[in-house]
Amino acid sequence: MYFQKHIIETLTKFDFVFAKMILRGGNYHGPFDIALIEGTITEAWQADELKRIREQSTFLFAIGSCAIDGGIPAIKSTIPELEAEKKVYKNLSTIHSIRPHSVDAYVKVDGYIRGCPPGERDLYEALSSVIMGKKPDFLQYSVCIECKLKGNICVLIAYDMPCMGPVTNAGCGALCPSMNRACYACYGPMKQANGPALAKKFKLMGLSRDDIVRKFTLFGADSIEFRKAMDIYED
Amino acid sequence: MKINIDYVARVEGEASVKFEIEGRKLKNLKLNIWEPPRFFEGFLVGRKFDEVPDIVSRICGICPVSHMTTSIYALEKAIGFIPSPEIRKIRRIMALSQIIASHLVHLYMLVLPDYYRLNMLFSHENPPSPPFTKGGKGGLLDEIKRLLRLKEAVNNVTALFGGRPLHPVSMVVGGFTKVPSRDMIGKIIKGLEAIKEDALDTVKMVSELKFPDLKTDVEYLAIMSEDDYAVEEGTIISSSGFETGVDNYHYYFTEKEIPYSNAKRTVLKGKNPIMVGALSRLNIKFDKLHSEAKKAAAMIGFKPMDKNPFHNNSAQAIEIVHGIWKCIEILDSLSVGDFLINPKVKEGAGSSITEAPRGLLYHEYELNNRGGIEKANLVTPTAYNFLSLEESLKKLVNENIDKPIEELKLLCEMLVRAYDPCFSCSVH
Repeated sequence: MYFQKHIIETLTKFDFVFAKMILRGGNYHGPFDIALIEGTITEAWQADELKRIREQSTFLFAIGSCAIDGGIPAIKSTIPELEAEKKVYKNLSTIHSIRPHSVDAYVKVDGYIRGCPPGERDLYEALSSVIMGKKPDFLQYSVCIECKLKGNICVLIAYDMPCMGPVTNAGCGALCPSMNRACYACYGPMKQANGPALAKKFKLMGLSRDDIVRKFTLFGADSIEFRKAMDIYED
Repeated sequence: MKINIDYVARVEGEASVKFEIEGRKLKNLKLNIWEPPRFFEGFLVGRKFDEVPDIVSRICGICPVSHMTTSIYALEKAIGFIPSPEIRKIRRIMALSQIIASHLVHLYMLVLPDYYRLNMLFSHENPPSPPFTKGGKGGLLDEIKRLLRLKEAVNNVTALFGGRPLHPVSMVVGGFTKVPSRDMIGKIIKGLEAIKEDALDTVKMVSELKFPDLKTDVEYLAIMSEDDYAVEEGTIISSSGFETGVDNYHYYFTEKEIPYSNAKRTVLKGKNPIMVGALSRLNIKFDKLHSEAKKAAAMIGFKPMDKNPFHNNSAQAIEIVHGIWKCIEILDSLSVGDFLINPKVKEGAGSSITEAPRGLLYHEYELNNRGGIEKANLVTPTAYNFLSLEESLKKLVNENIDKPIEELKLLCEMLVRAYDPCFSCSVH
């Protein structure tokens, strides 16, 4: 299950050109065959750096929920930014944060390795596809499918838990429902998920507007799919 | 002459070390933690208490369980919920497995390459020149294989209760949403038994490393409980005999904003710079270690008070042994039952301090009567270590000022790595 089962083959098949976390020195300038970009963009220089890396890279993958849809740091977008910043620092003159955005808000992305932590299956798929010269086949269905494949009882229908599974991208193996709790969308929104339909269902279950907002802003507050869920409160 | 280490590699997060040398004298050493802030304490306000563990676990990809455990204890205190001894036992296992897993990654992947003059644990290149003959083509392949065996068995412990080793999902305020069967626990114990030898080989490996000499005068801090090598509950104790419960925290500890760093610096009133982490824990509560870990300490030649910060790495190896043997003991004695009580929400405030792999971790929350967060305050190990790390760096540079620049830079980096900082956590 763990990517670490593939670590030795990854180490022997690839040259690590630049990776601060595991490599001292290295070639910062590129060119790179593959760039794996993690993290939300929260300072202006990071956007410049990202554009430079894009130019130097044949394939650029966004890895992890932060890089793909803003992840947890994007919760900051749901409140006035200065308010959040003032709660942390008295002196803001040395802080230069911008509104958190995903990687694809700034550059073209060749694939998304979803999840928090990122899904090992999709990471393996991305790396092996580059070696084989094929298009990576990422998981593009919801957590619901994984529950069905596992034979789980639906926690949303049977136990009235406010489960985000129907709008959340698969990859975790339906972990939360398998552990008796509602999915909280750590893999981020599935493309073209029907957010408003699930928000309506939550409303019928008796969740308050605030509770529903929090469900759709925990992960992926920066995504169209989850922002659209709030349409049910317009008019 | 200005010397800049633009970024310290092989640590978690982003920081640089800058200093000037003028006629054999050190001037102006600064540890600049430029990791961009994410404002967790800002956006936690307005969220609900039951979301907090899942949110704060994302502060760190190496020690998510530590943040979860600490937040859960603080939140339970705020609403007046007292977890059962069995729940606390599982949380102790989770905390121990987190410490072992983090130490393993740190020792093998981040620290080890320095001592073989490699840039990375794995290498496609030929071995560096003698005496560093070990890391040939393939790097330290045997060590990598041992690390993977150890890491898998320990990850399995975290995943057994948490669902997955990183950002576990079953740990919630009130207990665990699901607990494993006795059979599954038995399998995991077997897995741990199987890595005992690898753990002792790790100790042997560390005992052969030639750590640089350095002695620093710092205040060692750890949490202490009477009957155990405390990791998730206890009072705060220091090497000079200072002691306090977590409720008096603000009387003794202050956080200061530093103009050249995004991380704040935590100081203890009227005391030397603080050091927290594996070395501090061993210096303070060595006698509480598992007997097998004491044997490991003898193998390395470690004795408290050890004042060399580089020996934090030896301390980590000893704690790996302690953690594995201790986990087996607790798992053996665990009775499996119902482990979730849905707590009632009420207004209140609560704080908690635990031992993350890198040292003390403090969480504090204020809740309103709907369970909404009104205030959040988090202090991470690297914030405590910030000042003593700077002071140790100054001492190291002064004592090695005649060394060639590249060597001096490497020594500085090695010291930063020895402290096992998490700059991402420190900014959060």
